[in-house]
Amino acid sequence: MNRRRCDGVVRRDFLRVGGLTALGFGLGDLFAAERALADSAAAGARKAKARSCILIWLDGGPSHLDTFDPKPEAPAEIRGPFGSIPTRLPGVRLGELLPRIAGMLDRIALLRAVTSPFGVHNFAVQYLMTGYKPTPALEYPTLGSNVAYVRSEIEKKARLGVLPANIAIPDLVSRDRAVIGSGYLPGTASPFALGSDPGKSSFKVRDLDFYRGLDLTRLSRRRHFVDALESFGREKDATPGSRTDPDLERAYNLIASAGAKAAFDLSEEPLKVREQYGIDPRRNIHDSNNIGQQCLLARRLVERGVPFVTVNNTGWDNHADLATYANRHPGDPNQGQYALVPGLDRAFSTLIDDLSDRGLLDETLILVMGDFGRTPKINTNGGRDHWPNCFSVAMAGGGVKGGQVIGGSDALGEFPTERPVTPPDLAATIYTLLGIDPALELHTRDGRPIRLAPGGSKVIRELIGA
Amino acid sequence: MKTSVALFALVLSLASDAGGFAREPEPVDFANDLIPVFTTAGCNGGGCHGAAIGRGGFKLSLFGGDPKADHESIVRQLAGRRVNLARPQESLVYLKPTAATKHGGKQALDDSGEGARLLLRWIEQGARYLTQRTLVRVEVGPLRHTARALGSSIRLTATAHYADGSTRDVSRWTVFRAEDPSAVRVEAGTAKVLRRGRHIVVARYLGEVRPVELIVPMTGGTVDLAAEPRRNFIDVEVLETLASLAVPVSGMADDATFLRRVTLDLTGRLPAVDRVRRFLADGDAAKRATLVDELLGSQEFVEYWTLQLAKLLRIRSQQKKGLITITPQAARAYHEWLAQQIRDNVGYDGLARSLILAQGHSVETGQANFYRTVEDPRAQTEFVTELFMGSRMRCANCHNHPLDRWTQDDYHGLTAIFAKIGREQVVKLSPIGKAIHPVTGQPAAMRIPGERLLPAETRDGRRALADWLTSKENPYFAKAIVNRLWKAMMGRGLVEPVDDFRGTNPATHPVLLTKLADDFVSHAYDLRHTLRRIATSAAYARSADATAGNIADDRYYSHARRRKLEPEVLADAISDVLGVADRYGREPDGTRAVALHDASIESDALDILGRCGRKASCEGAGAPVGALPRKLHLFNGALLNERLGVSGGRLDESIRAGHAPAQIVAEFYLAALGRHPSRTERRFWAEQIDAVDASDGRRGLLEDFVWSLLACSEFQTNH
Repeated sequence: MNRRRCDGVVRRDFLRVGGLTALGFGLGDLFAAERALADSAAAGARKAKARSCILIWLDGGPSHLDTFDPKPEAPAEIRGPFGSIPTRLPGVRLGELLPRIAGMLDRIALLRAVTSPFGVHNFAVQYLMTGYKPTPALEYPTLGSNVAYVRSEIEKKARLGVLPANIAIPDLVSRDRAVIGSGYLPGTASPFALGSDPGKSSFKVRDLDFYRGLDLTRLSRRRHFVDALESFGREKDATPGSRTDPDLERAYNLIASAGAKAAFDLSEEPLKVREQYGIDPRRNIHDSNNIGQQCLLARRLVERGVPFVTVNNTGWDNHADLATYANRHPGDPNQGQYALVPGLDRAFSTLIDDLSDRGLLDETLILVMGDFGRTPKINTNGGRDHWPNCFSVAMAGGGVKGGQVIGGSDALGEFPTERPVTPPDLAATIYTLLGIDPALELHTRDGRPIRLAPGGSKVIRELIGA
Repeated sequence: MKTSVALFALVLSLASDAGGFAREPEPVDFANDLIPVFTTAGCNGGGCHGAAIGRGGFKLSLFGGDPKADHESIVRQLAGRRVNLARPQESLVYLKPTAATKHGGKQALDDSGEGARLLLRWIEQGARYLTQRTLVRVEVGPLRHTARALGSSIRLTATAHYADGSTRDVSRWTVFRAEDPSAVRVEAGTAKVLRRGRHIVVARYLGEVRPVELIVPMTGGTVDLAAEPRRNFIDVEVLETLASLAVPVSGMADDATFLRRVTLDLTGRLPAVDRVRRFLADGDAAKRATLVDELLGSQEFVEYWTLQLAKLLRIRSQQKKGLITITPQAARAYHEWLAQQIRDNVGYDGLARSLILAQGHSVETGQANFYRTVEDPRAQTEFVTELFMGSRMRCANCHNHPLDRWTQDDYHGLTAIFAKIGREQVVKLSPIGKAIHPVTGQPAAMRIPGERLLPAETRDGRRALADWLTSKENPYFAKAIVNRLWKAMMGRGLVEPVDDFRGTNPATHPVLLTKLADDFVSHAYDLRHTLRRIATSAAYARSADATAGNIADDRYYSHARRRKLEPEVLADAISDVLGVADRYGREPDGTRAVALHDASIESDALDILGRCGRKASCEGAGAPVGALPRKLHLFNGALLNERLGVSGGRLDESIRAGHAPAQIVAEFYLAALGRHPSRTERRFWAEQIDAVDASDGRRGLLEDFVWSLLACSEFQTNH
């Protein structure tokens, strides 16, 4: 008898994720069981193309009206300081600060009716990043942690090299300083935060370079000594298996692998490429929030098989003076070409072209989103406040069918008028594009089964190309 | 007797109501017959229609906890379209689960099966809410079964007993679920054990859940443990369980290992080098017991066990939305109050009482912060029950606990007690406080969970709560704490997780747990007493080296468990071995990590080592820092590198004092591992030392030696 659950997966329970014993007993069974499920998940989504995902997170919440959902017909206090421009898609207009994106909208899908109930950063970020409404009872893993966990622990992709499976550029910290990460999953799924910004000339990933006075010979000797001590300490213990510490080994391999570490070395990129993404070497201006260099680094990482990279670009909580979207300050020597929106325009469009040139666009899903949208009506400080009721998300690559606008907002950009999409729908769609069954269940430490995307979430089918 | 007669009469009258069906099949009892059909088919599980918001617009109570509401959903909602009395086969409630029409859950009921037939018959009979029997209890068999071999089939049965004295075999309608499906396979009421050991299968029928214990001895033969030492009741119980599982024991830990283990467990620090030398040289047969007493009486014990309880109580300063809610001064006052209780050896009952009854200004009366630690009365209910009862009551916020006895009345009734406590800077009674019961929408009545309602005029229900919790008869209080003490000493709780006591999560050693609790209660709830009991048992003193016969045992204490040092203990141990203190925020020089009164005091070392922020229970919480960044930091970060060879540190001093390299190696072994290097080790290190040039390479080599000592698992664990 084959009893099926709501999700259509054959009833089968899995050892809880947090319940692994120190001795690791039954791990083989666990993985066998999980593989069985992964196989069925893979069968359900075999058309998926995306292997990796780059999430360009606009931290603070970008204004949909000044970017992907302009309202040129609306009164001035709604319309805002910027005009709109036509795009490759007849009848679809974008904000005037996005000319490059407008020119390639046939390769991008826009969701214009994303909607969430949460208007404070903390909850909004958690909802979008996990697909689950935040609750004090349980911390859910982010999209990146789930993808990393599935790729490295369930699918066990051999192609995953020594680089971590979930990387955050430069970090992934919510505004109340709570780390957003792996939830109930093991720490290995949590994002590896670089702790340094690739936009800065001083960019350097934390703890990858030798401490002063050390070199690989010394570290190699240290590791050799640790291995010796491990076997001395367990001489009388009958427990079989490797005496080496696997995490220490991973760390050593990363440090020792010039190739892997080179992933973080932007100076390997031709100047022309760095400029295309957005850098101004003539003036040697190194911007601590350079979305272009962040995206370039993300490309280098997915190129090397990293399943999930988050570009956490800050500065998008513009309660005052929207003019900073175009020009960070009066007399900006770069005429604003690296300000928030032009920077995004350049980085996002270059990333699409660059991945496409390298034949990687089909297998790399790119997402552009932030906490929420902004209030349609400009406030007294010339800014816009939080507006979760309706906002836009852009997606490209990874099997996304570009050249379409899904959903729409009303005349003022206040509420969805058609095809509203919720964060759970979005999460389910992202997993599906990545070839992961959104109904896949993982277990919390106390044994509760939790689906990757919540029950009731609906995949946005029209978004997925043939 | 009287009630059963009355019930019987009621059953009769119902039966006569149904007299029209005299020659028809027996009327289907909705609550007793049909709900189990939904449960066994998975319809009312949390992932389907049993979810709090239902599924596909159709909601059932979780596992059928509320049959009346389920009847309502099926018969009345959706304008009654779910049942079609004229054409029963066309009822949605029949079409959907048999997948005759599109159903998100696919086919849940085989249309030729007994469940589908019952469902159909119920509709044919009018889809009425009929309860003919009152379930009193379910008897599950076997409750405990020992099989000699793997793979043999064990038949699982369930018999329902009703108020009228009748019984029914309900095995077919009982859900049997293995806690660990990789160890036990359950199919069609038959269990097969796939892995040796002791496993739990949970049986669920209606509201009743029962654990079934299935045992297959770890080894084929038997083991003779008669000669093993039995120093107190702990050993009697531990050895009996091991014998029943046929698990041989490892030998006893040597003196050096025991000294390091017990010093870490009782004082959170490594034994000092001279203490190691003295202990190893001491010929007194009773030296281990003397050591335990010495440690229990030390200032270091107070410091470390204050930390242990501070973690349980989540003592920390807090800010919410930029506003300071618990000031560092208040956190310090709370911590100091706690330390004083430990120093004075106040009974745990008294300590709990002081916390529950706490009130006053949070900076002056430290323990008042007990009511400011979590955000609201509901969170207080969850916090208090996890802390003092080892129970997770949070499920009962939204629905009756599916695996335990707790109901929403219990949850909100306890919350009603805490709702009368103002949680401002000054904690005091707030008579207008109330907790709204989500089912009634009315203020919940104050209630001692699982026991009784408090009189409506009660001003402060905490007194009744404290009396009940700390009474000798309370079934939760003593067990919850002795289980935590056991875990602190032995590395695993007798009940795991330690805050999840319930009938369906039985202890590995139920009798031992009861004896430990009784012993604790009869010794005035003295924490030191129980710690001494454990520390002086033979079970505690066993070696961590597994033998071929007991490798697979991870919970029966045939050998000691290797446990990672807590971040605070590890940070202090690193400082002690290196002979260089670390800095913690603005605390005075020389402050130890275990003595920090507030988990939010700045420390890179503790962040890297993954300290618990005490925002929630620290028990079993994963470290927030991934293992990879931590190891990268070990290699290239400041934690070890900055202090390895620094002037004034242990290594630098030894080199300056002209100690020979072999002597330095031996000294660091004592400091870090609490033992002498073995002959193999001495030879290994001598070879390494000889291989480098004496003048300039040697210092680097010794630094690498010390580094590896601090990075190896023998140092980073208690074993």
